[in-house]
Amino acid sequence: MSVAFRTIRELGADLRAGRLSPVALAEACLDGLEKTGRRLNAVVTLTRERALEQARRAERELKGGRDRGPLHGIPYGAKDLLATSGGIPTTWGAAPFRERRFDYDATVIRRLEDAGAVLVAKLAMVELAGGMGYRQPNASFTGPGISPWAPDAWSGGSSSGSGSAVGAGLVPFAIGSETWGSILAPATLCGVTGLRPTYGRVSRHGAMALCWTLDKLGPLALTADDCGLVLDAIAGPDPADPSAAARPYRYDAADPGRPFRFAVVRGAADAAQPPVREAFARALDTLRTLGSVEEIALPDLPYEAMTRIILWAEGASSFERLIESGGIADLTAPEDRATPYARDAILAKDYLRALRLRGVVAREIDRALSRFDALVGPSRGAVGARLGAEFRSPIRGGVPDVLGAIGAAAGLPAVGVPCGLTSEGLPVGLQFLGRAWDENVVLAAARAWQAATPYHRQRPPLS
Amino acid sequence: MAAVADEAELFLALVRQRYGARLDEAQLALVRETLEGLARDLAALRAATIPDDAEPGQPFAAFRAEP
Repeated sequence: MSVAFRTIRELGADLRAGRLSPVALAEACLDGLEKTGRRLNAVVTLTRERALEQARRAERELKGGRDRGPLHGIPYGAKDLLATSGGIPTTWGAAPFRERRFDYDATVIRRLEDAGAVLVAKLAMVELAGGMGYRQPNASFTGPGISPWAPDAWSGGSSSGSGSAVGAGLVPFAIGSETWGSILAPATLCGVTGLRPTYGRVSRHGAMALCWTLDKLGPLALTADDCGLVLDAIAGPDPADPSAAARPYRYDAADPGRPFRFAVVRGAADAAQPPVREAFARALDTLRTLGSVEEIALPDLPYEAMTRIILWAEGASSFERLIESGGIADLTAPEDRATPYARDAILAKDYLRALRLRGVVAREIDRALSRFDALVGPSRGAVGARLGAEFRSPIRGGVPDVLGAIGAAAGLPAVGVPCGLTSEGLPVGLQFLGRAWDENVVLAAARAWQAATPYHRQRPPLS
Repeated sequence: MAAVADEAELFLALVRQRYGARLDEAQLALVRETLEGLARDLAALRAATIPDDAEPGQPFAAFRAEP
């Protein structure tokens, strides 16, 4: 039985019916990651020993009648910025840290273990989660992440391995992180579903800190429903992370039973590449069959400049030692070796101004969103760059990304879903951005989208 | 725009003074380009009106280890 491209719910049904064993499932994923994942530069470390131990335990427990829930026995990969114990390296995608090992598990890793999930791999990522300002696919010591959809197309970043491993059907889900775009971009370019939770929904304990007021952890999977199942397992307060909110979360897979109310920002796709604009126009037609779509205007505020200042200042502070010591010279992307020095020019009062403005933005956007279930827009304005080519990055100001900047700075949840293919066969995506703590609302909208469209069931032409 | 360009030049002098010995001309060109973008961002940020009582949304929490 092939286990590739099967959802968490489908695999769970087979595991519980005895049609599939957790050990066989883990071995199939390990095999695929070794053969195909390596070719896509998606894998840093296969965690075979830990995986088989967890899978054997899941097998015993399920046979013995102990069911830990939907993730029990399900394999997954973790972006290599999540600390893992047991001698497994945690490299942050960066050559200067390629030998780093932690003696504890990140809270997300521990919660997934408690849920019975099986860690099969630490997955590749853009060095230091892209926070140094890279603008080319080759920005990791493991090589450029490759999309399953074309051997010369970038997977997106910074959760590049998480996107391509799920997109190639090598794992049912993966954990990524997003500071600005790092879940939605690889989800888009690898043709999968990605969920960026509200800031504070998921503990960051044990995750590499790039920007402590922007970083979020979330799942990439084949469907919005699967993302909800994973979020249910990893969300919640954590004494080890004061920023993890005390708000409880339970995934609600029920259909809200009413039409959705979508908003679209006037000109939302104007700066996107033509295939993205065309796909988004078609998407709006489909969304109108699911509810209403109202065009709105947002207050005229410097969303992107504000978010960049916060990202650059906090990123420079997080990696001050690496930058000041000259250790960035060992990073892979040429721009990552030089441009972090520019951040010395950010004054404390400018950083604080950006933080103060963020509070204003958070209120304005919440007011704008209060009449709607979600704001919709392209999940990425550009299709996957060709390997070896430079791309224009919103983090460097090269391309507009207002929704991305707002979502990042205001800490709002968003789901990115496949929305079609270009004439060259590269995926494009749609995002549903919601009010803070409304993950269930945006997941419901994304489920409705996926019930109405075939795009998430399209498979890449992997040999 | 002249003010933005002037500020970028000022920033570049700072970076040269601190890190110039580590950077070749190509890298300095990348830094200059980055600083020009930064100066534009800062100008946009400073032009936005913020209420006097707007505070950053990340309050410091006093800490005390519990027994």
